[in-house]
Amino acid sequence: MKKIIALIGLVLFIDLIAELIGMQVIMLGAIKISILPLVFAVLIGILLSLIPLAPIKKLYSPEIVKFAGKYMIFIMLPLMARYGANVAPKINEILSIGWVFLIHELGNLGTILFGLPVALLLGMRREAIGATLGLGREGELAYITEKYTLDSPEGRGVLGIYLIGTIFGSIVFSILAPLLLALGFDYRAIAMSSGVGSASMMTAASSALAALHPQNSDTIISYAAASQLLTSFIGTYIMYFLAVPLQRKIYNTFTRRLDANKEVAD
Amino acid sequence: MTTTVKNTIQAASVLALSVAFTLFVQAIKLVKNPHSTPITHDTLIGLGALWAFSLIGVLISFAMKKTPWKILQEFPMLGWVSIVSLAFCLISPFFVKVISAVDFLSLTTTVLAFAGISVANDLGALRKLSWKIFIVAIVVFFGMYFMDTVVSQIALLLSGKM
Repeated sequence: MKKIIALIGLVLFIDLIAELIGMQVIMLGAIKISILPLVFAVLIGILLSLIPLAPIKKLYSPEIVKFAGKYMIFIMLPLMARYGANVAPKINEILSIGWVFLIHELGNLGTILFGLPVALLLGMRREAIGATLGLGREGELAYITEKYTLDSPEGRGVLGIYLIGTIFGSIVFSILAPLLLALGFDYRAIAMSSGVGSASMMTAASSALAALHPQNSDTIISYAAASQLLTSFIGTYIMYFLAVPLQRKIYNTFTRRLDANKEVAD
Repeated sequence: MTTTVKNTIQAASVLALSVAFTLFVQAIKLVKNPHSTPITHDTLIGLGALWAFSLIGVLISFAMKKTPWKILQEFPMLGWVSIVSLAFCLISPFFVKVISAVDFLSLTTTVLAFAGISVANDLGALRKLSWKIFIVAIVVFFGMYFMDTVVSQIALLLSGKM
């Protein structure tokens, strides 16, 4: 019980500081990026744990950290319920372009099309399979574990992406969304693409986008939430039937070529 | 007490904590900027609705674990909660009204604060990763989001909605 109270106090403190900092707009060259309190919250949560002071070490005891991880899913549920009120008023609009929502799920293959060649050129081999199958969320983690075990190069690849995504995902996605907007894409296209299968990444991306387009924030949040829900339904099937075969094909073609070149060079 | 009852009580308490955090954050936002979403009666009822819909989603998720169908067993709890809430909001605009009185961003700060704390134990493992995987991670995140957006943009153009 004492541990739970310590955790509550810690969360209230982080919330308070993050909200007092408030939304900040930074310019990356000509690109406007809005950093929301949610990004400060995750940063403060991580950075505090690095301070080598006894009282803080005590607050971040392995037990309290484990509590935070275990209850995180329940803490998140009211946010998921909030999305219902965003989607409901827009349901007709969303259903009228339902096929667009379905088709856009094919974009999930971007992890392989972009990531795999880069990973292979960097010299990674079997790790690349785990690292580029998807965003390395629970679905991919389960698939790779079942097929290769976690204690394999493929397993190390997916674990690496999982870890990086868990720690930096929300920060990275809240920067990527404004970046895509600056590249000239329509806010609706970016909004529906924010439903990438991780609820915190989707929230970070769509909130950052909504902050830059406040007049369309209802549409943005509802498109992102609807697409997130769809991804949780069909994401696994896209992985099984499209991502896995495509990855195998690109992997074989690339490694054959790269390794042939290497032999010539040797 | 059976495990299910115990798990349900635990979920209900953490959910109550979560909506309380939300109220706290919305209050701070209001102090900082008096023009942000006000705290009204609707806000309180809205928070109650969010709590109830979440709990119903949790119960459905527990029940589905006992069905023989893998797709239902593995469907995430987060998804069930969204579906439950969407159903109630479609049935009655009252729920949309009260839930909309809960500031959206106020719900997000606490979730990410928990996320930050919960990865504290993993930071050591991060140092053991090779630099290559950090580059691959950035390309993977960007590749997915970029390609998703390109496909959506083309599909929206074809649909004539843009």
